[in-house]
Amino acid sequence: MGAIITLSLLGILVLYLGLYKAKNALLPVSILGLLLALGFEAYYWNVEADPLYSGMVIFDHFSLSFSMLCIALTILILLLSKEYFRAISNNIAEYYTLILFSLTGAILVCSYHNFAMLFIGLEIMSVALYILAGIRRNDKASNEASLKYFLMGAFSTGFLLFGITLLYGSTGSFDLAAIKQHIVDNPTGISPMFYGGILLLLVGLCFKVGAAPFHFWTPDVYDGSPILITTFMSTVVKIASFAGFLKLFSMVLVPLNEFWTPVLLTVVIITLFLGNVTALMQTSFKRMLAYSSISHAGYMLFAILSIGANSASGILAYSAAYGLASIVAFGGLILVKRQVGSDHFESFNGLGKRNPWLAFSITIAMLSLAGIPLTAGFIGKFMMFSNVMNDYHTVLLILAAINAAVGVYYYLRVVVHMYFMKSEAEQTVSMPVNFQVVFVVAVILTIVLGVYPDLILRFI
Amino acid sequence: MTIFYFVAFLSIFFALMTIFTKNPVHSVLYLVITFFTFTVHYILLNAQFLAVVNFIVYMGAIMVLFLFVLMLLNLNKDTEPMKSHLVKFMGVIAGMCLLVTFLGAFRVLETNNEFVQGHADIGLVKNLGKVLFKDFLLPFELSSILLLTAMVGAVLLAKKETRTNQNG
Repeated sequence: MGAIITLSLLGILVLYLGLYKAKNALLPVSILGLLLALGFEAYYWNVEADPLYSGMVIFDHFSLSFSMLCIALTILILLLSKEYFRAISNNIAEYYTLILFSLTGAILVCSYHNFAMLFIGLEIMSVALYILAGIRRNDKASNEASLKYFLMGAFSTGFLLFGITLLYGSTGSFDLAAIKQHIVDNPTGISPMFYGGILLLLVGLCFKVGAAPFHFWTPDVYDGSPILITTFMSTVVKIASFAGFLKLFSMVLVPLNEFWTPVLLTVVIITLFLGNVTALMQTSFKRMLAYSSISHAGYMLFAILSIGANSASGILAYSAAYGLASIVAFGGLILVKRQVGSDHFESFNGLGKRNPWLAFSITIAMLSLAGIPLTAGFIGKFMMFSNVMNDYHTVLLILAAINAAVGVYYYLRVVVHMYFMKSEAEQTVSMPVNFQVVFVVAVILTIVLGVYPDLILRFI
Repeated sequence: MTIFYFVAFLSIFFALMTIFTKNPVHSVLYLVITFFTFTVHYILLNAQFLAVVNFIVYMGAIMVLFLFVLMLLNLNKDTEPMKSHLVKFMGVIAGMCLLVTFLGAFRVLETNNEFVQGHADIGLVKNLGKVLFKDFLLPFELSSILLLTAMVGAVLLAKKETRTNQNG
């Protein structure tokens, strides 16, 4: 709870700093506040976890570890933002505030224990993003992204709410524990309305995490938003949505898995193929990352598909690896685009010569996203695959392996462009200090987690 | 019960009229009537607070906003995007599937289910306030962040920007 209060107050404080023109204080204050919130989360680690405030939120190891991951990734993203927002507009304070509020929503989604909190968390998270996606107001793509995200998000929220209503109508409670108790008490007498509710919830949540066939907003929104906001969307928001998704299914709906497993299995297979095959055909690096984030959503759904003791830690490891690698990839894209002015693969040509260190970081990130051993991405994929293996979903496993191979192809394409293609422009790509810090941290963490995965796996 | 069926018929009828009329202004006006029938439903369910809120906020404020937006956008038939028959066909099939699923689910429901009948006085302002400020205090407080976010965003999007964008 300390973290949520800190972040809400921090958002308001940053707004006031913007009012009094203290522009240089914005970033340090935000980072300090985030560190404080991180400290609060760490402090609650050893406190007995009980649902608080009439069962509204719970801060168990699951929610704390996902919240900490979200906060840490936000710190890295904000570090990249130093000169970034200033180039877009004058109202920098508001952007920091919106990001902080969005993070507050993400933490609520990680730690809800009542559907009312899930809904409010998701809404806080999304409403801030609808605006952030459109902050480049003179850019048509940014406007389109914002409007599309808003309409699709509102639509999906409708599905989610209807699902929650149906669950309430058949169990008489919004509380996760009470609903679970209802399922356990009446194994045969569950009302058909409840199943309808599950389906609608599934639709709503798949919209939020961007799984096919509810992914239509993802490429355009990720492509049209400013790169830094895309980074935030595809890491923090996605991870939080998955935490909420997993919590609902692992805590409440496990006894009914015979009903929803086939549905989710279809979603996973469609997601994997659509994400990977379309990513293969992209010429823009940013759009490729957008499609690949769809396929990553597919891999992460594995953990929900075969819920077991390892699901939570598997998804945590996967999302940590994915988040770190995405931040490096998008950060590299910001630098390259600043220099070359385009986000196509060709702009990466010869980067190995123009800035070897940047090229190396991006290579590590790509290897991690592709799931090559000795990077964190491998551990994540390994955990997901072993989850599915335990459940004997052999067909899914084969399909997933094919997709992973396809993934390696398009991730390595960037590496090939960086090292084996000559560029016309020979000038070096400069790299500001804040980017260097973030890249060093992210690359080291990626390798450390890849070599010694226990660091993150024993969290939950 | 007969009043219920009459009002329910009116709700569905006007909801269908909302989507089938060609003129957007008529469509909004039908939506207003639909919301009015919902208000009657709430009164029948003894949910007075919801009825009043629905009447003032949805029928009054939001619908007027809708009309204003329509006026500003100046929608007419020429600007209406053409949808292909395939999309319409798929939409109809998907919608009907959803409808059938839910009709199937609702058909087997027993109407004397305690959750369906519920607590008769729950919709009164007094009881609602008690629930809102006791059990649901935390979500209630946190929705202030949601409203603040929306407010900041509205100001941000509407404010005049002097600087032009650059790449990045």
